[in-house]
Amino acid sequence: MSDNTMSGAVMVVGGGISGMQAALDLADLGFLVYLVEKTGAIGGAMPQYNKVFPTNDCSMCIIAPKLVECGRHPNITIMTLSQVVDISGQAGDFTIRVRKYPRYVDTSKCIACGQCSAQCPKSVDDSFNSNIAKRKAIYIKYPQAVPLKYQIDPEACLRINQPGACGVCAEICPPGAINFDDQEHDHELRVGAVVMALGFQTFDPSKAKVWGHGIYPNVITSLQFERYLSPNGPTDGILTRPSDGEPVKKIAFLQCIGSRDKNRCNNEYCSSVCCMYAIKEAVMAKEVNPELEVSIFHMDMRTSGKEFDRYYERARSEYGVKFIRSRIHGVEPKGTKGDLRLHYISPQGKQIEEIVDLVVLSVGLETPDSMVKLAETIGIHMTPDRFASISAFMPVHTSRKGIFTCGAFNGPRDIPQSVIGGSAAAASVSSLLASARNTMTKTTPPSIELDVRLQEPRIGVFVCHCGTNIAGVIDVEELTAYAKTLPQVVHVARNLFTCAQDTQDLIVQQIRDNGLNRIVVAACTPRTHEPLFRKTLKSAGINEYLFEMANIRNQNAWVHNQEPETATRKAKDLVKMAVVKVATQTALKPLRIPITPSALIIGGGVAGMTAALNLAKQEFHIHLVEKTSQLGGNALHLFQTWNGEHVPRFLKELSEEVLNNPNIEVFYNSTVVEVAGHVGNFNTTIKTGTNRKQTIEHGATIITTGAKRYIPEEFEYGKIPKVVASIEFDKLHMHNETRVANGKSFVFIQCVGSRNKERPYCSKSCCTHSIQSAIKLKKEVPSRQIYILYREIRTYGQRERIYNQARELGIIFINYELHGPPKISREDTGVLVEVWDHVLHRPLEIKADMVILAAATLASPEAVELANMFKLPLNADGFFQEAHAKLRPMDFNVDGIFVAGLAHYPKPLEESISQALAAAAKAGRLLARKEIALEPNTALVDPERCDGCGLCIDVCPYLTIHLVTYQDDDGSVKKSVTINQALCKGCGICQGTCPKRGITISGFTYNQIEAQIDAALCTELTPEASL
Amino acid sequence: MIYEIKVNELAEEFGVHRNTIRNWINSGALPAQEGPGRRYQIQWEDYKRLCDKFGREPRIAPEPNNKTEAPSLPKNESALPSVRLGLKTNPLYSQPAMADICLTCGSCAGACPISGVDDLDPRKIIRMAFLGLDEELLASDWPWKCTMCGKCEVVCPMNVEILQLMRRIRSRRDRDKVPAAIQKGVVTCLEKGNNLGIPKDDFIILLKELGEELAESSCPGFVTPIDVRGARMLVTVNSKQPFAEPESLTWWWKIFHAAGESWTISSENWEGVNWGIYSGDYSAMRTMAERIIDNIERLNCTALLLPECGHAYYATRYALEHWFPESLNQFKIYTVFDLLLEYLQEKRITLSPVVHNKLVTFNDSCNYGRKSLKTFGHGYFEEARSLTQACCTKYVDLIPDREENYCCGAGGGAWASPFGAERVFHGRIKARQISESGAKLVITSCQNCKDQLEKSLNREFNLNIEVQFLWELVAKALVKPEEARQP
Repeated sequence: MSDNTMSGAVMVVGGGISGMQAALDLADLGFLVYLVEKTGAIGGAMPQYNKVFPTNDCSMCIIAPKLVECGRHPNITIMTLSQVVDISGQAGDFTIRVRKYPRYVDTSKCIACGQCSAQCPKSVDDSFNSNIAKRKAIYIKYPQAVPLKYQIDPEACLRINQPGACGVCAEICPPGAINFDDQEHDHELRVGAVVMALGFQTFDPSKAKVWGHGIYPNVITSLQFERYLSPNGPTDGILTRPSDGEPVKKIAFLQCIGSRDKNRCNNEYCSSVCCMYAIKEAVMAKEVNPELEVSIFHMDMRTSGKEFDRYYERARSEYGVKFIRSRIHGVEPKGTKGDLRLHYISPQGKQIEEIVDLVVLSVGLETPDSMVKLAETIGIHMTPDRFASISAFMPVHTSRKGIFTCGAFNGPRDIPQSVIGGSAAAASVSSLLASARNTMTKTTPPSIELDVRLQEPRIGVFVCHCGTNIAGVIDVEELTAYAKTLPQVVHVARNLFTCAQDTQDLIVQQIRDNGLNRIVVAACTPRTHEPLFRKTLKSAGINEYLFEMANIRNQNAWVHNQEPETATRKAKDLVKMAVVKVATQTALKPLRIPITPSALIIGGGVAGMTAALNLAKQEFHIHLVEKTSQLGGNALHLFQTWNGEHVPRFLKELSEEVLNNPNIEVFYNSTVVEVAGHVGNFNTTIKTGTNRKQTIEHGATIITTGAKRYIPEEFEYGKIPKVVASIEFDKLHMHNETRVANGKSFVFIQCVGSRNKERPYCSKSCCTHSIQSAIKLKKEVPSRQIYILYREIRTYGQRERIYNQARELGIIFINYELHGPPKISREDTGVLVEVWDHVLHRPLEIKADMVILAAATLASPEAVELANMFKLPLNADGFFQEAHAKLRPMDFNVDGIFVAGLAHYPKPLEESISQALAAAAKAGRLLARKEIALEPNTALVDPERCDGCGLCIDVCPYLTIHLVTYQDDDGSVKKSVTINQALCKGCGICQGTCPKRGITISGFTYNQIEAQIDAALCTELTPEASL
Repeated sequence: MIYEIKVNELAEEFGVHRNTIRNWINSGALPAQEGPGRRYQIQWEDYKRLCDKFGREPRIAPEPNNKTEAPSLPKNESALPSVRLGLKTNPLYSQPAMADICLTCGSCAGACPISGVDDLDPRKIIRMAFLGLDEELLASDWPWKCTMCGKCEVVCPMNVEILQLMRRIRSRRDRDKVPAAIQKGVVTCLEKGNNLGIPKDDFIILLKELGEELAESSCPGFVTPIDVRGARMLVTVNSKQPFAEPESLTWWWKIFHAAGESWTISSENWEGVNWGIYSGDYSAMRTMAERIIDNIERLNCTALLLPECGHAYYATRYALEHWFPESLNQFKIYTVFDLLLEYLQEKRITLSPVVHNKLVTFNDSCNYGRKSLKTFGHGYFEEARSLTQACCTKYVDLIPDREENYCCGAGGGAWASPFGAERVFHGRIKARQISESGAKLVITSCQNCKDQLEKSLNREFNLNIEVQFLWELVAKALVKPEEARQP
């Protein structure tokens, strides 16, 4: 196909977090995006959650800015209540038929005033609230919905079901937006590629009577529990027994409901996320009420993600959540008052009966039938577990070229994996459609900015309720009234959710109507929400830095929720401080610098090569630095992926492609020795094999430095030759070395060096790896006796199939605990393994011909040096610490640098590849721009005051301050410092250190900080009071 | 160390009735001395032994401050010898579905009412078979304390065939180690045509006399049809009935009479139950099924009615499907439910629902219910309820019921086995279910359930209930044709 037939438009199907991420990345990569969502608003599942693991962030709060960003991106067209019917054509040139279902509300007219809903006489179960509350027949999905437009549920609406009936909404709607005659209609769109982010549904436990869901009111699903816990939920976050409203004292979580089950359902796979969300929900409930007794009944706790095991351990030791290794067979009532009876057998084989107030069913994830059908219609293959069939080597490619996939439609996964998938899909689309980039996008003309220098401050204050998060504690009316009394404040307004998209429009309107020139938002944290409000200021035509946030939620309502009165006083102080600060704020101009359109990728393993190749195909130049003389990294030791794909062949092809790509320059035997520059313009010096130093200019950096393996010190490793590590074993196995060939009995020991005191994390891929080796051994010679000694089998997701297969083949799994590891000793010519059986409660002895240790994956020791050079954080285990575990899983807080693969955390190959593609998307998004705007909140030197003492130079963590000597007009020699604005992060240490007040930080000047301190200390500030 | 206990507190702890505790004390299972104020004095060691026996964690701990007196108990069960796993074949199981695919999740153990009792634990049994500990399994009494109710299997997320394994263990056991009463029943049946060895002549006389009495009392013209060639339906008999409660046979006869059924009883090999399934004697099971076919062929019948007993249906159908699949084309098998519903649907009988005004419940038989559902694709849940409700005005279901029902405690031959204490303990859940339901009349379609509920649990747990077979309930609710015809 010739390039000029490629379309520069992309369709993303599914408006959940994964689809939203793909849409945002694609739109910034220069493509026009149609974001197709089947419900009335985008957001997917995240808005329903209370908090997210392991960061305990409020889920709605972290997704809200992304919702708004999607809503107002000039190159994203959101199509709600729409479904793809058919896809014809081919990669680069698809024609898609989309069916739009009637909303019955004209979105161009609806102002979301809510009068219709208030008057609507018909109530039905609210599926957004998991049916624990009601909504009206005309409704918005949730308060922060994007687009914030009402919709009519045609099944519930009286008028639609009976012409002539009701119609009250149409009568009262102020703009006359109701249209009962709205019809469904199809339209066709031409796009170059499609991203299927179809998402999931939770398993319906009422299908099997045995759990009592739908029969006993105190049996609820985990999603319902989220809604009960959510401060924005129908109970305002207050948890009581659904049956009688009595306090909840005892909760039991039942894991694997609708997962790992061939009996009650046909979901053989593990849903991957339930263990963590159950722990999170348990911890949240315990935080609200520490007296609560919470037990989690499980088979294996599958907390294999980054920081997950620590979270699990903290839940146990700090919060006192009980973890009981027993799958509960069913729930029965005790008496008629709503109590529930659980009967199980303790690990010691004793009967235990527990009576609880509430049973939470940790329901699994599955693909809805309608999505399976859609996949069938458009011809993409599905797995037996009903997820999109993907290769581990191409983790976002479906079986049909040009159609990509991400999120839980690719197999059950958590939010970070979905975000990574969304970005990875964007990168893959971008390399496919590179020639059509920017052919269909629109650019918005820069808005004209109001010059406020000569104006008196006219401050507007917006107080956010954040549902009940703030308004439930702080007296927002009193706060509003108070704010009106503050000097120079001319306008104060309250909003239910200030971050909602319609509120942005409202703020713009109020800025214009009231001639405001400075804005204070009293809400949550600038960390997540400042960029959103700045954009709002921009679109209202005022400088985006004439803005201040007062954090009255995280630092006030949340921490002082027991003392509403003092919290209200504190809120007043915080608002007052923000007002005095913004009053003297000046307009700032971001520093614009051109970007070098190339990337440096450090580490030539699979992650590095994948990122390099993708960016090269996006037509950027790549410098790939590899410290050894060979590409391939840790994958050189791998033979197959979890689903049996051949790794060496893939690796060979990938390396060849990398080496043959003219945009990629590979440096072997090379390491980074010096780093200078900043986002858009890095100058990195590498030392090559010939000890020559070479400086590379590049706009973005991707760190893919991999990891190393643990050399065991336990289990007689290195002392008994028949005890080997798994990577060594793979080689022996491949060559059918005599120890393997003649072996009749093999013992695998899991978690060697992982999940212990020293390294409290899971190495994630070893369970799968050992089981695969075991299956291979068993299939070669079925009479072989094979034992896997494990702590928890973590074959998450569809990997569960190989665990099932292994057991079907007769491989024996024996569980051991950290405090009771197996004992290894020599016996005759073999090895004796002694282990305690977890079911029989007695010791077992195994004479093994070989013992294979699943050794941990360790952080690369070079990470420390690299982290120092690039100013990047590492976590306690030595892996690179991403900017945000949930939504920025491959970014750093230092701009322009990204991470992927094992350098971030142990992970299997396809997750490394996904993350590498995602990092490539981020780097590409940056490099696709011609120039970059840097934050202007940086340090400025006042040459009048600076005497060049140089104290600031030593304290600057970014090494951006340099001493200069110059001659002034009088010809006398003076000393001063210069600061590289592009490198400065505005941390303010220099300002604090300077004895002469010779440095100020824009936006945090001495005057501003002093004014804030004065405001905090002095209670009398209002003009009225000072009289 | 001596502790004082109250009977009701101990009963609550073990989930049993005060009577059970008293029975344990009286039988010596729990050595105790009566003290003042309804209290008993027991040794802690005896209490611990009782806990171990019934799989409970001791609620009362020995006083820690008195170490010298503290009973010396093993810290864990390491008293068990270590097991050497090796290259042995595992003759007890032949396919992964019997053990390998087990996740060791514990669902089965949690569902089994007697898990932990004498260390019985379905999960452990599966594991032992899987690890090749055949000899220990064959030596244990577990397979006979297990009532083969299948609750473990219905909850297993991996569909492990626990019952098949249990049956296999039973069948591998030396015949002289099968519980004597069961083995005797099987041997007698093979020799004499019925489990209790009732001679042919006695049987014929009994049937004739019963028929004459019935003709006089309520069914004019009734003659017991013995060996009637060409009758539509062969009716087999549970030997317990002619032996212990012959009157009960006439419940069916009344219904047949009302429905105008063409039926017959064979004078030989008339046994309707099949204890081969209890003892794990497959050849006996086959022989007994074959006799039924012989009788049907000899008498030229086209239908077979099995006695109202869960295992009789399950074992016979299983044997016919397994060894004589072609026979299923020859004649139709009727359960009590099929036949009664057919009569009702064809309006051959009429029932009056007002006969019983007590609160009534139906106790599912594991064999007619979940086991038939799994093995034959249909469980008799709704039929049982619609028939029961056709005869009564007030009905309540037990919780849980149908597939999730708990065993009465006497299935799988347990009623005939020497493990009485375990059987009663097993039945504690059924007793609790019935007492929580408030039902005073319990209908059941199984001889074992009926015996256990009526003769054991009713007394042990002071349930104060009446227990009836479904056919008895229906027979009592029959409206005589002349009454039915009146407006």
